[in-house]
Amino acid sequence: MRNLLNFLARYSNLIIFLILEGIAFYLLSTGNSYHNSRLVNGVRGITRGIEEKINHTRSYLSLRFINETLAAENVTLRNTIAKLARRENSLFFSVNDSVNKQQYLHTSAEVIENSINRQKNFFTINKGESQGIKVDMAVISENSVAGVIVGCSKNYSVVMSLLNFNFKLSARIKSNGYFGSLSWDGRDYRYAVLSEIPQHVLVNVGDTIETTGYSAIFPEGAMVGTVSDYEKFGGDFYKITVLVATDFKKLHFVDVIGNMKKTEQLELEKLFQ
Amino acid sequence: MINSILRFGLIFILLILLQVLLFNNIQFSGYVNPYVYILFILLLPIELPSWLLLLLSFATGLIIDFFTGSPGMHTSATVLAGFVRPYVLRIVSPKDGYESGSDPSMLIYGFRWFFSYALLMVLVHHTALFYLEVFRFTDFFRTMLRVLLSTLFSMTFILLIEFYRRGK
Repeated sequence: MRNLLNFLARYSNLIIFLILEGIAFYLLSTGNSYHNSRLVNGVRGITRGIEEKINHTRSYLSLRFINETLAAENVTLRNTIAKLARRENSLFFSVNDSVNKQQYLHTSAEVIENSINRQKNFFTINKGESQGIKVDMAVISENSVAGVIVGCSKNYSVVMSLLNFNFKLSARIKSNGYFGSLSWDGRDYRYAVLSEIPQHVLVNVGDTIETTGYSAIFPEGAMVGTVSDYEKFGGDFYKITVLVATDFKKLHFVDVIGNMKKTEQLELEKLFQ
Repeated sequence: MINSILRFGLIFILLILLQVLLFNNIQFSGYVNPYVYILFILLLPIELPSWLLLLLSFATGLIIDFFTGSPGMHTSATVLAGFVRPYVLRIVSPKDGYESGSDPSMLIYGFRWFFSYALLMVLVHHTALFYLEVFRFTDFFRTMLRVLLSTLFSMTFILLIEFYRRGK
């Protein structure tokens, strides 16, 4: 007994150190799936208030820029409406149900916390379950891919940024339709890597990369970026470096896109797997 | 006693605010993010009992974690820094030892001593932090580059703050 006490007294610091590191690693392992960690979510409620204030201040500084982008977006939206109105006449639905025509539901949101300098980047937006946001919805910024919702609280959601090791996206070359898998290699926040494009495909610097819509998360044809460089990788495939269209450093307003026919698609696909 | 608790409480709050409001928003080219809050662990009195040092490190890391949304990462790096601090102090100890009851500041032990002390501590902290973040050894050297660049920036800001304190 005395030996034990002596031992404890002698190594008390080491023991405290190991216990504290144990707690830290426990947090690290459970917290990396992020939304699973109740504790973190609870305390983040407090820090979010402060983050929102910081963001508020920052948004004043970029009002002019935001106005410009909004005006530009309005113009493109008006053009789309005009185009759609024309096309509507030539389309027909067997059932005249206007609900069926809309597949994607857009919700705009503001980014209140963001990072680009980690290997697993997340950002937080100021809309949550109360506003109809759910896990696995797509997040785009000015029509280009930004991330996927991974966790929601009542009024906030956490988005896994494209700048995250774990982010995978099905993307294709717009000009010829060959698709591959897009991910971030953790190097530069402006570049992502498109792999699994076979080498017989003609690739040019400057080609547009867009989403495929196969995953039922992102709508088809959303901008991802442009080819900035490509090299042969292994025997069969290219490794294509893509200049990402979204500027994550000034990410501010984003659109959250919910696919209303997602369950229908996934259930149908499940039948054949 | 009460006086010094108040003083360190103030330093603590100031450094955390500085880190969260200012330094977390500095992001150079995806490589550099200064983590200056570690200065709090550097400045604690030399004779502080180790268990208290460890608990304070734990608390500091946890608070930073909650603000950066990276549970456990800063906590484990800062606890490690708190754990090695007595050994670092022993390695860099000046020729005639430490004065009893003194703070490890630039004012008392001079620039050269403080520089090597801070550099060792910041290196330990940043190395743990960045390798924990990546959690794998592929891209080993790129992570090392991130560690070194961020150490450079953190050191610059830590020295600036210390010069400012000395100047007063």
